[in-house]
Order: sequence, then structure tokens, then C-alpha cells
Amino acid sequence: MISPSGAGGAFLRRQQMSSQGLTAGAQVLLGHLVLVPLAGIAAALASPAGMDAISDVFTGRIARNMLWVPLTNTFLIGFVVALACLLLGGFLAWLVTMTDMPLRGPIGVLAALPFMIPTFAVALSWTVLFGDDRLGQSSMGFFAQLGFDVPSWLAWGGVPVTIVLIAHLYSIAYLMIVAALVLVGRDLTAAAEIAGAPRSQILRNIVFPVVTPTLIAAGALCFAEAVSSFSAPAILGLPVRFHTLATRAYGAIETGSPERGFVLIAVMILVAGAFLALSALAQRRGQAFTTVTGKAGHRGRTSLGVWGWPLALTATTVVVLTTIVPALALVFSSLSAQTGALFADPTLHFWIGQSDPGIAQGQAGILRNPQLVLAFWTTLAIGLMTGIAAMLCGLIVGTAISKERYPLRRSLLEQVSFLPLLIPGLAIGAAFISFYGAPIGPLPSLYGTPTILVIAGVAATLPFAVQAVATAREQVARELEESARIAGASQVRILGAITIPLTASKLIAGFVLVFVKMVRDLDLVILLYTPQLPLLTVLAFRYASDGFAQFAHAIAAVILVISVAAHLLASGLGRNAQPWLKDQ
Amino acid sequence: MTKTIVLSDVTKTYGDQTALAGINLTVEEGAFCVLLGPSGCGKSTLLRLISGLEPPGHGDIQLNGETVADPANGVWVQPGKRHLGMVFQSYALWPHKTARENIDWPLRIAGLRFDDRAKRVTEVADILNLGPYLDRYPSALSGGQQQRVAIARAIAPRPRLLLFDEPLSNLDAQLRVEMRAELLNLHQKTGATIVYVTHDQMEAMTMATQIVVLNDGRIEQDDDAQTVISRPQTAFVAKFVGNPPGNLITLGQTADRWAMADLSGLAGKLSADDHAFQAMVRPEKVRLHADAGPRRRAFRVIEQLPFGAEHLVRLDGDTGRMTALGPVLPCVRNGATVYAELPELPDAIFDDQGERIA
Repeated sequence: MISPSGAGGAFLRRQQMSSQGLTAGAQVLLGHLVLVPLAGIAAALASPAGMDAISDVFTGRIARNMLWVPLTNTFLIGFVVALACLLLGGFLAWLVTMTDMPLRGPIGVLAALPFMIPTFAVALSWTVLFGDDRLGQSSMGFFAQLGFDVPSWLAWGGVPVTIVLIAHLYSIAYLMIVAALVLVGRDLTAAAEIAGAPRSQILRNIVFPVVTPTLIAAGALCFAEAVSSFSAPAILGLPVRFHTLATRAYGAIETGSPERGFVLIAVMILVAGAFLALSALAQRRGQAFTTVTGKAGHRGRTSLGVWGWPLALTATTVVVLTTIVPALALVFSSLSAQTGALFADPTLHFWIGQSDPGIAQGQAGILRNPQLVLAFWTTLAIGLMTGIAAMLCGLIVGTAISKERYPLRRSLLEQVSFLPLLIPGLAIGAAFISFYGAPIGPLPSLYGTPTILVIAGVAATLPFAVQAVATAREQVARELEESARIAGASQVRILGAITIPLTASKLIAGFVLVFVKMVRDLDLVILLYTPQLPLLTVLAFRYASDGFAQFAHAIAAVILVISVAAHLLASGLGRNAQPWLKDQ
Repeated sequence: MTKTIVLSDVTKTYGDQTALAGINLTVEEGAFCVLLGPSGCGKSTLLRLISGLEPPGHGDIQLNGETVADPANGVWVQPGKRHLGMVFQSYALWPHKTARENIDWPLRIAGLRFDDRAKRVTEVADILNLGPYLDRYPSALSGGQQQRVAIARAIAPRPRLLLFDEPLSNLDAQLRVEMRAELLNLHQKTGATIVYVTHDQMEAMTMATQIVVLNDGRIEQDDDAQTVISRPQTAFVAKFVGNPPGNLITLGQTADRWAMADLSGLAGKLSADDHAFQAMVRPEKVRLHADAGPRRRAFRVIEQLPFGAEHLVRLDGDTGRMTALGPVLPCVRNGATVYAELPELPDAIFDDQGERIA
């Protein structure tokens, strides 16, 4: 045992104490960021008003419109989106990694992009192309302007919501399945080929079992993302009173019956969370496979023969329709006098125009509009602050996790820090309103302050920050710091010369990811923002619902560019910012 | 001779797991001491205690006559102040520094002037043939080159003690043989004391002046290479060390064990009650015959391997498995039955605790 008076003991005690301090700090952070707000929702539900709301929502006169129809819609969307994403993402992943399809390089790159394009931007681009005159002449889309009779079900409601979500989410499934297929080492399939198995059987008996856990995880993730999405149904569903749980909850909270909203939020958390938890289980069981990673050496590719070019064209169409087309639609719309009349009457009014009573009720172009300029800077500031705060919290929590020696406490810290992944952004917003919206003791209400946005942003992005810190720490094997200690370097010097240079790029990548998630987010901030604190995404959403389509599209185009650029920067930083890895 | 390392009653526990229990060890100056044992035996932990990367739970450690760790009296010297170099299994080269910077950095920490540093880097680079690679990053070096850089980095500040933690286990067989020769060469050139952890007994036998066999957190034997092979102190050492390792034969009176009468010279040494004891017989002392006879037992040949000019024969029988080493015999064919004859006296006898008694 350690002698209490010993210096070696003192050294060890110091380490233990600092690790206890870290753990305590992490617990406080996680408590306030994750658990307390959720407890706020639970408390609101447990109150008399909450109990009334529960019975209203589940059994009352409004139950059908409030809960059951939106719930059915939500489930339908979730299932169709998950299934379609798996098929589309899996198909593309197979083409890109396992076949000799022409153009697979550029197609592979493009297929990763939709994930970086915010859903609300895709939804807005849908209205540019397929909008009808339901919201007035100004909302007529490209095809309607050309004289096509766009059916209402294609313009608004469940069908476009589903398509837009698929267009955004299939690339998540694609990225996950590609990663899994790369793990199906060439050796695995080669061994089966040598055993004389035909290709179909190799696919069925070797490839599928190995990627099945990933398929389940990808399906569950797409499902959860689809059911928690607020922006797509809000933009494409609300105009025709097509509701999902998210839009109903938003409506209830906005119209002054927050308890009913919280009931729906709770249902959402359960639905999304249950599926993600199931997938976590499935993955854990599948973990045994991932250790069987052959070195991905020379990969034998399935020859597609005459099907090569037709499949390449199909795949190209899919990725172009979900990346370049929405972006161009938004840009062209913002440059046209009339939405949808994309090439008819080009104008820069919506970008730099002076206020003109004849156009858009005198609104100036977005670069001249003080409200928008304010929103631009506010959004950037909130994004930066959230990024910094989230990475600081991620450092504390991530370091606490890696230093915590008791497995039970470590896994608890881990689980709680990843909990926000299971909670829809709208729900996190609602949770923060319910808890930090009212004064707490001597502290004033945080509602309407930038602080609540930053704190909520930190809570929502904490899993990514913690993950970034964890990957960064993996970068530095224990021996790298130990060999510096043996050389006689001080702790500060080790930090400056070894630890920070080796982790910086990963930490910055994590920061950029958090930043962009905040900049492009609508679901989380829609309940938290106030007019004094305008945010780009919220303004775009407001403009779109008020019929100022081109302004919305111009803003969406700006956010889209920021988002894709930042994502590319983050993944570039994660991969390439280490020159010492390049000169092989 | 001065003693470079003295460990007295050193103990280390992790939670309720004992990694090292009451280690007493002395390493003379200039020795090449190999810590040998199966994985998990505590040999790496012992090295980390000597280096100062971890404090002992109990007991004291002296390096070059100075106490560097003694929890009972509050003595603790940081690893950087112990004047030693360490080479890690993973090499632990700083990936963002070139080979030159890797070797140079510890010298900078030590406060050497620029000229002296540059001179010393060139010197050690010459010793290890690193000249052409000095400006490459570790990722652009082969495993063997990385290994050399790690060694160069460790010896550059001229430490009096060098610690190696399984340094060759990531190299291929050919390189391992080359590096062994280079390490011996290095040992002679620098005159430093070396403590070297490995589970590979070939490494241990070819390089060590002192072999410390560890098992389960305890020292089983501490001797020179020849003695460890010829006079193992415990049943574990007998079974673990030697190429091929010794045969351990459980003695007994019943038919399923070797009767003590078979080793006729044992009669005076053991009583009839000592049937749980084990005798060690080296494979080269087991003689194989085509026919049955006194003190011979039947075995089936499982496999035979060429071993130098002789054959190593693995046998299976009622009394367990056995290995024999001897000239090639016509009667020895896979699956055939042969008769093994033991010498009158075994090479060693171990009691039921595994301790050598004869």
C-alpha cells in the first residue's frame, strides 16, 4: 500500500486528487447541461398543469390532432426515410467501394456532401423548384412558372418532407456503410473466393453479416434524425397543416401551452432515443466483428461490365440532385425577381438592393438590411462562443473520462455526455426554456440572452466535443509523454512541445464542427431566439413563412456555403493538418 | 564493483491486484540484465518503477548509490532526474519531430549548447547508421530505422543506465538478429548498464550477463544465462526457459505417473510420500528405443522436427507429453510407438511448491 507520508505517495495522491477534481467538474457540467434541463421537462410534466396536459394530449378531444395523427406521420416519415437512406446509401457505398464503376472518385466525394447541407436549405430549395401558388403568386416554383401543373402532394406535405429528409440523410448512411465496407478486409472476401463461394454468396454470407451492425446503426440514426427534424416539416408541412410531433410541439409551445408541447417533446425523445439505444445494443453485439479487420490492401473490385456507365449516370444523377441542384436553386432564386422564375428577370436586389416599396414591402437586400447584418454577426458570435465553450467542456469531460479509474463512474460520465445525441434539438431547446427560462434563485431568467443559446448549444454539441477530445487524446500515446518525462521535461514543457502540437488539429477540427452545427442549426434555436437576438437560420425560416422567399433563399445560400466550407475545413484539419504524416 | 540498481522489498499493487510482490534485485554496473517472463508477469511494471514513471507502493529503489524512491521516508526523484535513458516497445518517437529533432530534444532539455548538441547528434547518428535519415519524420522511416532513432535518442544524453521495454518485438526476425548484435555492440561501446525486458528467451540468452526470471510478480530466479538453463531454481523456470524447455515429470507410485523406481537414482533422495513432486529431465537426456525394456515407457510419436543435426521428437503417452532430443532413429516415425528411457537421476527435483530441492 502507499505510505501516506511518502513523496511517491504524494505524487500519486496529487494525481488522484486532480482526477477527482476533474470528475467532479465533469459531473457538475454534465448535470447542468444535460440532466437538469431534462429534469425541468419532467418537473413541468409532473405539475398539475402538466398532468392535465398529459391527459389532454393522450385522451382528450385534441388527442387525435395533437398526438395520434402527427405521431403516425412522424413514424411513417421515419420508416420510409430510414429504409430509403439505407437502400440509397448502401447502393452508393457498394458502387464506390466494391465495384469498378466509372467516376466513382468524384461520385464518392459528392455523396458525402448532402450531410453538410442544412436540412432547411434543402427544404427551401424544394419550394424553389416545386412550389405551387398556395402561398400566393410569389411562392410559385420553377416548374409551376414553366406552366407545369405541380400536384399539391408534391409541393407540400409528407411526400416532399420525406424526400428532402432522404436527400439530406442518405449521405450519413453512405458514409457509415463505406466505413464498414472498407473494414471488410480483402482477405475476408478472398478467403471465401478461394473456398469457391460464388459472388452472391460472398455478399450474403460474408459482407452482409459484417456490415449488419452498421446497417442497423445507420438505419436507426436516419430514423431518429428524421423523426426529430423540425425544419423540413416546418417549411414544407405547415403551409398545408401537415404536422409531425416536432411541428406540433413547436406550435403548442409558441401558442402558450408549453406543457402540451413538453408532452409531445417527451414522446419524441422516447421514439428517437429508443431507436438509437436499440442500435447501440446491436452495435455492441456486433463489435466482435470489427476486430476482424483485414488490412485494406489491393481491393478486388466487382466488374460491372456494360452496366458500368448506366449505373454511374444513375449515381451521378442522385448526388447532383442532392448537392449541386439545391445549392444552385437557392442561388438562382435569390437572384431572380420572382421565385421559381429562375432565369427570367435577374436582379441583385435581394442581396444588395436599396429599400424599394415596390418589392417585398420595402425590405432592403440582405447585405444592406441592418437586421440581417446583425443576425449575421450574432450568428457568428454565438457559433464562436459555443465552439469555444463546447471544446472547453469537452476537454474537461473528455479528460475526466480518460483519467477516471473506476469503470462504473467512467461509463456513467460517457453515457451522460453522449445523451444529447438521443435528444432532438427542438427538445433540448424546450428543456432549456423550461429550466433556464425562469429565474433560478437570485439568478435572472436567461431567456432572451445569448447565454442561454450558448449553453443550449454546448449541451447539444457536447457529444461531438467530447468525441473530438477523445480522438485527440488517442493521438498521443502515453509513451510519447513518458519519454519526454524521462528526458527531464517539465509538465508545462511536455504540454507545449508534445501534447498540444499533436492534438491541436483534432481539437480545432472539433471546434469547427461545433461552430458549424450552431451556425446552421434551426431546430435547437427556434424556441430560444428573441427578436433582439436574431439568428440567420431563424430569419430565413421567418422570411420563408412570411412569403419573402428570395431573402430566405439568399440567407440559406450563405449558410449552405459556410456550412459546407466549414465541414470541409474540419475534415481536412482532422486528416491532413499533420505534415509529418504526409511525407511518407 | 559498484551497484547501479538496488531494489529492496519493492511492492506494487493496482487496486487489489498485486503486480509486484517483495522484489529484491541488485544490478552491477555495466551489467546487461534481462528481465524475462511471460506477459503479465510484472517485468514491464518493474522497469517503470526503476524509470520513475510510477512510484513503488512499498520498498526502496537506489540508483548509483542514491535513493530515488522510498515512500516510507518521503524520498522521490523524478524520472527526468535519474540520468537514465529508456526505449519503449512502441519506440514512442514524437511524430511531429524529425529523427534529428527527436534525438536533439532531450539534449536541449538537458541544457546543452547548440554546438555540443549538433556534435552529439552526429555522433550517435554515426553509431547507429542514421546519417541519411536524420531529416525524415518517423512516419517515413522503416520499423528498424525508427528503432535506431529511439535508441539514439535514449543514449544521446550519455545516461549511465539504459532501460529497454521489449524493444525488438515489433521487428521482423531478420532485423531482430541484426539489432541484437548492434545492442551488444552498443553495450560495449557505451559501457552503460542495461536493463532489458523481454519474453523472448533467445534474446535473453544471447545478450544477458544476468537473467532475472519473473512470474506472477515474483522473481523466480536471478542468475547468469548458463545457470538459469542448467540449474533452474523453480519448476516454472524449468518449464519456461531452455530451448527446447525441460520435461517436468510428476512423480508417483501409481500406474498413471512415472514411478519413482523408473528414475532409479532417486530412491535415496525421496520418500514414498513425496509423490506430488516433479522431476525435470532435459530432452537430450531422454533416450528413445524401438523395444520395451526396464525403465522404459511406451509413447506415441506426435511429430518430429529437425533441430540442428539432431531431431526434436514430441511424444504422447499415458503419463503425459514429453520431448526428446537426439540422433535421427529409424524407429521414430509419426504415429509409431517408441519406448522412452529416462536417466537414473533427473536434472532437478521440485517440491509441491515448485521450489528446487535437489
